[in-house]
Amino acid sequence: MLEFGDSKVNPLPTNINLHAIEHKFSPYTDNGGTTVAVSGEDYAVVAADTRQSEGYSINTRYSPKAFKLSNYAVLGTGGFHADAVTLVKRIGQRLEWFQHQHEKPMSTPSIAQMLSIMLYHKRFFPFYVYNILGGLDENGKGCVYSYDPVGSFEREGWRAGGSGGSIVQPFLDNQFADHVNDARVNLPVESVVKIVKDAFTGAAERDIYTGDYLEIFIVTRDGVQLEKMDLKKD
Amino acid sequence: MRGKDCVAIATDRRFGVQALGLSTEFQKIFAVNDKIYYGLAGLGTDVQTLSEKFTFKTNMYKLNEDREIGVRTFAHLVSSTLYEKRFGPYYAEPVIVGLDKHNAPFICSMDLIGCINFAEDFVVTGTASEQLYGMCEALWEPNLEADDLFETISQAMMSATNRDALSGWGANVVVITKDKIITRTLKGRAD
Repeated sequence: MLEFGDSKVNPLPTNINLHAIEHKFSPYTDNGGTTVAVSGEDYAVVAADTRQSEGYSINTRYSPKAFKLSNYAVLGTGGFHADAVTLVKRIGQRLEWFQHQHEKPMSTPSIAQMLSIMLYHKRFFPFYVYNILGGLDENGKGCVYSYDPVGSFEREGWRAGGSGGSIVQPFLDNQFADHVNDARVNLPVESVVKIVKDAFTGAAERDIYTGDYLEIFIVTRDGVQLEKMDLKKD
Repeated sequence: MRGKDCVAIATDRRFGVQALGLSTEFQKIFAVNDKIYYGLAGLGTDVQTLSEKFTFKTNMYKLNEDREIGVRTFAHLVSSTLYEKRFGPYYAEPVIVGLDKHNAPFICSMDLIGCINFAEDFVVTGTASEQLYGMCEALWEPNLEADDLFETISQAMMSATNRDALSGWGANVVVITKDKIITRTLKGRAD
């Protein structure tokens, strides 16, 4: 008979697990963070914190969650950041094609509708992203659209989303509620920016996933301006 | 909420089981005496049982000590009562407010097994706690007088409960100062 090596016979192990071992890979994770958008008579404000977390850890203190899509539209994202970044990349590509095909930039309400369709196309393996789109519509008036991960959307006057959404939303309702006109806010842009900053400092106090820095995009007929602010880093 | 020489406590008025609303006037604020009030949020039966237990315990305290119970003592009494049931708890999270024997304002809250949170500013519990945190964080400032404290706590309560499906139908608000206690009922969205 053939012999291999030193022919030593090792005993079989006795500490094996005879039960099934469940392996679980999740394609998603929650990177936390809060986003807010407010629309006014002739402006829109879109703000998002920059902390990126995973569980009880912080991945980075500066990872922007709000992205300028066009001169008149800014998209705030929350949820799974990898999906958010990919989604923004694909929206950017669609905006380029539109610009070449129609020789004009895409209007914000059109971007809003397109985003809804893009999200629903992945209805059975969704982008785990909570989107809030803010900008100026074709008449130069402020508009805010908020979405669920599979594309259900609605135009609103203001919306707070993300991990700190439930902390911020009632404060915005309290400051902006005007039962005559719920489509937009009746305040000047400077007041709105102050209120948004206060809302985020409150959220950073009580939500562990919100903090580090705040980026505020202000959209007017002159385009998009960016303001930055520090938040608590604990 | 804590104010300047005063405290305020507010609760909503809804009592329901998930989507079904059963009462639109459910009382969740209880008085121990003129200087101590507490609110209980959570399982209805535990709210009622605990309030009856605390009435019993504070009555016995008064008979044995021949004096009113102090607010800090009462808070610890509540904490012990809850921790007694550590491995089969009461599903209720209390908020306690009052003026101590020097008429200094005191507020605290507890989790369902009696861990006390001694706060300097405000305490919140219930299904709308996140919303209440946001409102209080934004609206509260130190040293508010009784009337301003009433306005602040009312705005916080109404805006927060309007964003919670399980809370609402108005609010009960009590403001306590050393001279008087003002109880008000706020009208809110009936949904």
